[in-house]
Amino acid sequence: MGLLSIIRKIKRKEKEMRILMVGLDNSGKTTIVLKINGEDTSVISPTLGFNIKTMTYDKYTLNIWDVGGQKTIRSYWRNYFEQTDGLVWVVDSSDLRRLDDCKFELDNLLKEERLSGASLLVFANKQDIQGALSPEEIAKVLNLDAMDKSRHWRIVGCSAYTGEGLLEGFDWLVQDIASRIYVLD
Amino acid sequence: MLNQRDQQVSIDIKQVSNPLHISLSRTDRPPLWRLQHQLIKLLPTTMNDQQAPSATTDGMSTDPTIQRKHAAMIERLSNLHQSRVSNKTDPKDPSFESTKSFLLLFTNSKQAIESSLTQVQQISDTDPTQDLKPELEKMSLSITELEKLVAENSYFLPPYEVRSSLKTISDLKQTLDSVTSKVKPRKKFSFKNRPAKKPEPANTITIEAIENEREQQSSYKVKDSPGFRSKENEILTKEFKGSEIGEFVLSDLTNCEVRLRGCFRTLFINRLKNCKIYTGPVLGSILIEEVEGCLFVVASHQIRIHDAKESDFYLRCRSRPIIERSSGVRFAPYRLCYDGIESDLRESNLDDDTGSWANVDDFQWLRAVQSPNWSILPESQRIDTVNI
Repeated sequence: MGLLSIIRKIKRKEKEMRILMVGLDNSGKTTIVLKINGEDTSVISPTLGFNIKTMTYDKYTLNIWDVGGQKTIRSYWRNYFEQTDGLVWVVDSSDLRRLDDCKFELDNLLKEERLSGASLLVFANKQDIQGALSPEEIAKVLNLDAMDKSRHWRIVGCSAYTGEGLLEGFDWLVQDIASRIYVLD
Repeated sequence: MLNQRDQQVSIDIKQVSNPLHISLSRTDRPPLWRLQHQLIKLLPTTMNDQQAPSATTDGMSTDPTIQRKHAAMIERLSNLHQSRVSNKTDPKDPSFESTKSFLLLFTNSKQAIESSLTQVQQISDTDPTQDLKPELEKMSLSITELEKLVAENSYFLPPYEVRSSLKTISDLKQTLDSVTSKVKPRKKFSFKNRPAKKPEPANTITIEAIENEREQQSSYKVKDSPGFRSKENEILTKEFKGSEIGEFVLSDLTNCEVRLRGCFRTLFINRLKNCKIYTGPVLGSILIEEVEGCLFVVASHQIRIHDAKESDFYLRCRSRPIIERSSGVRFAPYRLCYDGIESDLRESNLDDDTGSWANVDDFQWLRAVQSPNWSILPESQRIDTVNI
């Protein structure tokens, strides 16, 4: 029995998924997590460190690691890469000036070997703000089409403020991870 | 999840204990403890190779069928043991139970294999065309035999002998491997890169095309969002009505005064020098980067300040403001007035001062003591309420 099949078996039993939320500061990672968990999103301080949320989604248990995006703590992101099943990259679609930064950080992240098997969900957040770029435009700016063909990825427009698009994104992510890791029951 | 696991365990136990349940439920059998007791008694006697018929009747139930069955079992066990012992002492195999004879046998086989290995090597050196495959296979077989011999005798061999003979075997295997790879190197399985089938020119074209595409995409220019940019020595005023404006940008301003009335969603501030910024409530967040010698009177749900130097911030904030790579920044409560500011603040859920403006997180100062990069502006040095 290969190691992979053992890991698969363990995961199948637990039906757990580890999801890493990353993105530049001010992109709305914590707000997304709290919104999807049905919590109050009106008072959220910039994340100093990280938050972990465990929630049940369909028949799976999601462990969501929401890691702070400030520049000073981005170098710690790599401490959270291990065993990540799903990667959520959150983009502030209204922050046009820092899209280059955003692309640079995402490219760096995708080079990471430990994340090579993770499904990638790109949330084009803040769609409710007038003047925000559409998911298609964000995909163009981030040049997502040029990504490694083996990567499972998808971009979804959302608004953590209204909650729109969040479930669509997570539905895709959870289904995609499930189809990779768990045998259909 | 846990429950499922528990169930599985309990099912396993049931399956294991099922025969016992049956035997217990049948009244014509002796109780379980007695059976166990007898078995325990039997174990040492069979191991010591002693017939123990006396034990069989000891404490037995009077049931004659049980007695008969038991006697048969004892007999079977002792026969089995006898046959094992007699097998072991079989005179035709002298290696048994003697380290010396084992070592002799082992060394002989080892030498035989080694000599045939060198022979094969010599043959392959002198005549590379000769087919040595059967020879190699034979050697591999005899190494396996040798391994088996060690395994069979390991129970009485001293640990040192077991280890050293296993080492010898693995050495032999290695030598055989190297000889095999030398004699018929292509037979060994390995992953190989298939040569690219595409002709070279096609490849370069695609690479060029990709690069061109990349250039095009990296130069993909997005439209600018509304805002004030690249101004000097000006008073810039803007009034927002309803939700007409989402984000607003202030960038590259020097010696300017900016007055933004009304609610809006988000504010980006970048590269300001000696400016005064007064804004109505921002429903989302404010991001301030690279400012120097400025005065801000702003209200927002979230405020992030990066690379700020010698600036004062009069804030109303729902959450903790943060600073990063900043120095000499001072904080005070929001002081702004314009027509309809109360309703704007209410609308943006910023009507009470929660006092968060004083709870600044410095991302480069993670110690319990006060960060040297920021301070609270003393009352005496604060400005009066600003009317715009």
